[in-house]
Amino acid sequence: MVRDMTLGSRAIAKRRGMTRQQRRTLSFYTFILPWLLGFIFLGIIPLVIGFLTSLTNYDGINIATIKFMGAANYLRAFKDPDVIFSLGRTLIWMLLNLPIWLVMSFTLALILNQDVKGRGIFRTLYYLPSVVPTVAAITAWKVFLDKNNGLLNGAISLFRPGTAIGWLSSYAMQGMTMIAVWGGLGVGMIIFLAGLQGIPEELIEAAKIDGANTFQVFRHITLPLMTPVLFFQLVMGLISSFQQLNLPLILTNVGLSQGQVPPRAIYLYMIHDYQQIFVSSRYGYGTALLWILFVGVILLTALVFWSGNFWVYSDAPKEGGQK
Amino acid sequence: MNYQMQARLTKRFNRLLGYTILIVVAILITIPIASLLVTSIKQDSEYNAYPIRILPKVAQWVNYFRVFSMTPFVQVAWRTFLLGFTVAVLTTVTSAMGGYAFARFRVAGSGKLFTIIIALLIVPEIVLLIPQFILFARLHLTNTYWPWILGALGGSPFYIFMFRQFFLSFPRELEEAAEVDGCGPFRIFLQIFLPNAKPVLATVMIFCFGGVWGDYLRPLIYLSESNTLLGVKMAKAFVNPQGVTLNTVSMAANVIYILPLIVLFFLAQKHILRGVVTSGLKG
Repeated sequence: MVRDMTLGSRAIAKRRGMTRQQRRTLSFYTFILPWLLGFIFLGIIPLVIGFLTSLTNYDGINIATIKFMGAANYLRAFKDPDVIFSLGRTLIWMLLNLPIWLVMSFTLALILNQDVKGRGIFRTLYYLPSVVPTVAAITAWKVFLDKNNGLLNGAISLFRPGTAIGWLSSYAMQGMTMIAVWGGLGVGMIIFLAGLQGIPEELIEAAKIDGANTFQVFRHITLPLMTPVLFFQLVMGLISSFQQLNLPLILTNVGLSQGQVPPRAIYLYMIHDYQQIFVSSRYGYGTALLWILFVGVILLTALVFWSGNFWVYSDAPKEGGQK
Repeated sequence: MNYQMQARLTKRFNRLLGYTILIVVAILITIPIASLLVTSIKQDSEYNAYPIRILPKVAQWVNYFRVFSMTPFVQVAWRTFLLGFTVAVLTTVTSAMGGYAFARFRVAGSGKLFTIIIALLIVPEIVLLIPQFILFARLHLTNTYWPWILGALGGSPFYIFMFRQFFLSFPRELEEAAEVDGCGPFRIFLQIFLPNAKPVLATVMIFCFGGVWGDYLRPLIYLSESNTLLGVKMAKAFVNPQGVTLNTVSMAANVIYILPLIVLFFLAQKHILRGVVTSGLKG
């Protein structure tokens, strides 16, 4: 059998005048060619163009009046009060949305990982909002959170008549957090559940026999073994928090027209950037803000990776072991 | 009270606490959906009534018909469907090719390229999206669907990763036998790998389709009123000829808009949930 194979492939190799390894290399690159071209033309080149644009005063239309500005756009960003403000709002957004999402989806996964009746139904129900497109979710929530006609204020009014909380204006940050947690809970829970199912049953049984109670099992076995999953979720959540644009954009129907700005409460960093590029046609400045975000996110991710040395359990057998 | 009894009580308490949390969260998750459904069959005057009325007196199913009579809903939906389907097929094929290459070929440079794939998973999408827009605008490709088609032809690192993970679990004997019979890598890919990857193919296609169907930002910046996609249309308010916003019709439209994705989800729930775990996609 083995002899047959080498004979066969040798025959093909001879036919094409190539060694087996050369042939394999050619096949590999043929198969990844579409991705490789996409990566070069829609990844590398736009990134370079974006960076070059950030060094100019490009307005999106005129190439003739383009001027090299050096680092002026970057220096300007550090003096722009709206950059500082929107960065602050983005940090608050992250600190509000991320922990609530992490804790809630982890808790749900912990409960559903037990022998619970109706597990499948709960799991499907919790995941359902993740299937709903952002636009539809926000439109539905907008009506639900409406200051005067929304059912949420209506329900609160039963206990406290006349409630008119501006969930989409003054309290837009809280309103937006509700929407984001509602929409992301299912995905978070599914990933945590998969992690929990990877914990060996024997370990927990052994601890119980040794007299550990539920909390002790969680504290000393489940939690440490789940730190890699927590870490993964934290990194992904961090990145998506910083690039949040869709939620405030759709929530206030900003569109491309001038003059409509989300309430200050949810004036996030990317909203400020979006305004610069698509409303004020400051492409140079806008792409500079984008690069600042990119570098900032990389640094933050690196920081989280470094912190992982202290709290992420890494003695577990590596998944797949294929890298 | 002995130790055993105490343990049993704690267990009971934990169980009760668990169910309470599950039910409370289930209610919280259902309320906005219920609000959407209920508002979609209200009269506008009922929606605007004060104090807030929860249920409509008579269900206004006519709102659902008004979606089709007030806007070119079918036309925009068909357009979005066609683009979503095309993008899904193209992305799935190119990503499967990439996944197969990374799962089965170890040649010079393959390791480094795989590291790039992994690194791309944490590059914020928006950092690429805006420069891509600048590029496409310069090439006069805005107001066309080329940005979607070209993007789809490049595949996606997420899905390449998903396919790679799946193909790694394929037994090597399958292809070795085929190689003996003189099959080249393309025939092995088409006749052995693709037919055996149906769950992942379905999952990736559903994810891609849902991505286009639910996309807001891309149609907003690339397209104009006459050729835009459903996501942008849905975000706009429904207005009657007198210029009054009809929130009830808008809700009905959104119910119709969500429905295909819900159906797809229930058709392939098991595979989709597994796909979410492999790729770690969030929202």
